[in-house]
Amino acid sequence: MVELNAHTVVFAIFSIITLGGAVGVVWNRNLVSSSYWLIFSLFGVAGLFVLLSAPFLAAVQVLVYIGAVGILITFSVMLTRGMTQIKDVFNRQSAASGVVAVLLFVVLLVGVVLPVWGPSGALSSAPASDVVATTAELGVALVDGSQYVLPFELVSLLLTAALLGAIVIARDQDK
Amino acid sequence: MGEFDLLSSLPAIAPEIGLTILIFVAVLLDSFLHESQRKGIAYVAALGMAALAIVPIIPGWAPEPGPTGDYLFWGGMIRHDALAQIFRIMVLASGALTCLMAVDAKRVGNKGEFYTIVLVATLGASLLSASADLIMVFVALETLSIALYCLAAFKRNDSKSTESGMKYFLFGAFSSAIMLYGFSLLYGFTGQTNLYALAQFMGTEAFANNAVPVLAAMVMVIVGFGFKISAVPFHFWTPDVYEGAPTPVTAFLSVASKAASFAVMMRFFIAVFPNDLVIGDYVIQNFWVQFMAAAAVISMTLGNVIALSQKNIKRLLAYSSIAQAGYVLMGVAALQATTPLGAERAVASVGFYLFMYTFSNLLAFAVIILFSEATGSETIADLAGLNRRSPWLALTLTIALLSLAGVPPAAGFFGKFYLFTAAVEADLVWLAMIGVLNAIVGLYYYLVVIKVMYVDRSEDEDKPIPTSQTYRWVLGVATLAVIILGTVGAQVIFEWAVQGAGTLFALLPGVF
Amino acid sequence: MNVLNEWAFVGVFFALSWALPALPIVAAVFFSPKKANAIKLQTYECGVETVGDTWVQFKVQYYLYGLVFLVFDVEMIFLFPWAMAYERLDTFQFFAGIVFIILLLDVLVYAVKKNVLEWS
Repeated sequence: MVELNAHTVVFAIFSIITLGGAVGVVWNRNLVSSSYWLIFSLFGVAGLFVLLSAPFLAAVQVLVYIGAVGILITFSVMLTRGMTQIKDVFNRQSAASGVVAVLLFVVLLVGVVLPVWGPSGALSSAPASDVVATTAELGVALVDGSQYVLPFELVSLLLTAALLGAIVIARDQDK
Repeated sequence: MGEFDLLSSLPAIAPEIGLTILIFVAVLLDSFLHESQRKGIAYVAALGMAALAIVPIIPGWAPEPGPTGDYLFWGGMIRHDALAQIFRIMVLASGALTCLMAVDAKRVGNKGEFYTIVLVATLGASLLSASADLIMVFVALETLSIALYCLAAFKRNDSKSTESGMKYFLFGAFSSAIMLYGFSLLYGFTGQTNLYALAQFMGTEAFANNAVPVLAAMVMVIVGFGFKISAVPFHFWTPDVYEGAPTPVTAFLSVASKAASFAVMMRFFIAVFPNDLVIGDYVIQNFWVQFMAAAAVISMTLGNVIALSQKNIKRLLAYSSIAQAGYVLMGVAALQATTPLGAERAVASVGFYLFMYTFSNLLAFAVIILFSEATGSETIADLAGLNRRSPWLALTLTIALLSLAGVPPAAGFFGKFYLFTAAVEADLVWLAMIGVLNAIVGLYYYLVVIKVMYVDRSEDEDKPIPTSQTYRWVLGVATLAVIILGTVGAQVIFEWAVQGAGTLFALLPGVF
Repeated sequence: MNVLNEWAFVGVFFALSWALPALPIVAAVFFSPKKANAIKLQTYECGVETVGDTWVQFKVQYYLYGLVFLVFDVEMIFLFPWAMAYERLDTFQFFAGIVFIILLLDVLVYAVKKNVLEWS
């Protein structure tokens, strides 16, 4: 069973922040408030990364998601003036989608998570890896020919296309 | 993974290196050329991609097993085998033709960014068809998708175009997320990301009772691929995006993205859920084969039936492409064949079908671009009298539609022939029967378009459609390809595809 | 448990950074004299009443800046571990990072030449 120690308490706190923030995003009718809740939720994820001994990912989470993506979302919400204060409900299927979401959760929990990682699951006895990769090791892996150099270079081209496309679509006049 | 050897690894990504250089050059040209000169980028990109498409055919450049003794290169990120080469040729050819087709398209052709993004999308599709690692599959797929989202919304002042970009993005992001969740489950089960290592782990005793989790992960992955190939029930985006996106983008989207996704899908399922993977008492292959067969039946039927009532030619081709995806899925389902040759012929029939589909569909879209740029209309009824306006255009569109319908001497006949044969050889006679029935339904709506062009009269018959030199080249090359693939070239290309399919299974432990 | 000990100072810092600004605000509620009148309760910002809706539409330039920033931010994140591992890289690995930087510069040239970063 789960034992109660500092680790689980901190995990619970960050989980509540993450999930609570996510609920705030969905429930809020004001898009600006929603984007603030999103930042709150992303912060919880950063905390979870720390607990998983991945401090670099935690820093990335704060820098990129909270620092850049959060701001960009806020900007784009403010660009669309009319949409910041919409109070109308466009979608009346919230009950149905809620039921589907709960069902999906139960199916995944009972069908996938418990049999594999549960107390008597197939991988429950597998020891957790105690290897903590340093950022430098991650750096080598990213550019090593027998590891991840192809996805690494591809990402730069992906960002190229994303930037060019976004600029073309977002600019107001053709130059 | 053994020692990394740069020189022996470079040929494995030769097309991608070339594309990267082209992207680099295209961005610089776009930055420094004057606006009126930017159309030139189209020719640079198209010629570059055409040259790269020839590279895999050069004798002596055939894929060789790498330093690790198999076809895996770059740390197992990609598998450089003959099948990947065939799909790369399709992708590069469609990229090149798309660039040329876009030259005269208004508000698209004079923007250098368009060609750069097409190049990036081509690069993503090219890598995708060779990917052999969960991470590589995902990054390549996203490179392709994100580039296509931008392209779909490219006409920023056109509300239909932006709507289609938005729809494509929302559906795409959602299905990518589901697929990524499936990937993360597979990684969680095994601790491996290489496709070829996943199956070995899942076949071990530790997983004896865990068929349900593996199947759940499989279904999630199917959702992601099903979206990309627009198979029913993941097809909802297709008609709107095809209609709203700029037509050259629709052309590219309907062939390159689909071909690469089929390539990686076959590789994925053969590698991760091979026919000797038994978990508990379940042969996992049976599950996905049945998924594919079911999706094939629904896609063919729904696509063809709804296409019957379309008024817009781009929407017609959208539903037609859903139906075509259904035919191809038939070939994927035929992978249940119990002999190595049967499975190889199934893969080869898919490869051949997509090869001919690439050229047939591009040909059809090229004519539609010309027509809609000249008249501003995309409705089928306005095609009336096209034979009297521009007889050559009417003839090329007829050849393209006959090929899509599967009428000889156009290439589609052999495409369908090989697919149906593969299905019959894999004991899926019922599926082949449904396929034949659907081909007949399909024939009807293609013939209606041809009838409109040749029989119906219009008031504009004295106004020919202007066709520039570039377009004549595009139409000529694509028509030639369709005719050759439908006559003398069919057997040659199919044998080549069978050999390519052989390398897909070669050196796989346990399969056959 | 190690993780928590290493990161405990962040938690303490975090708690303090919330507590310090909260303290004067809470204190003000208790200790300040309360003599409200209509003028005192007005929204006060540089002495001028706001005119119209405060939810104004932003210029698209903000968004473009944010966008360019985001893309280079992400590229920086990818380069950071590479730079950390600098002393352990062999020639190929070094040039793999250089290729990444060159592609990045390509985009920067584009952004500058196309006046994306210009404000007017």
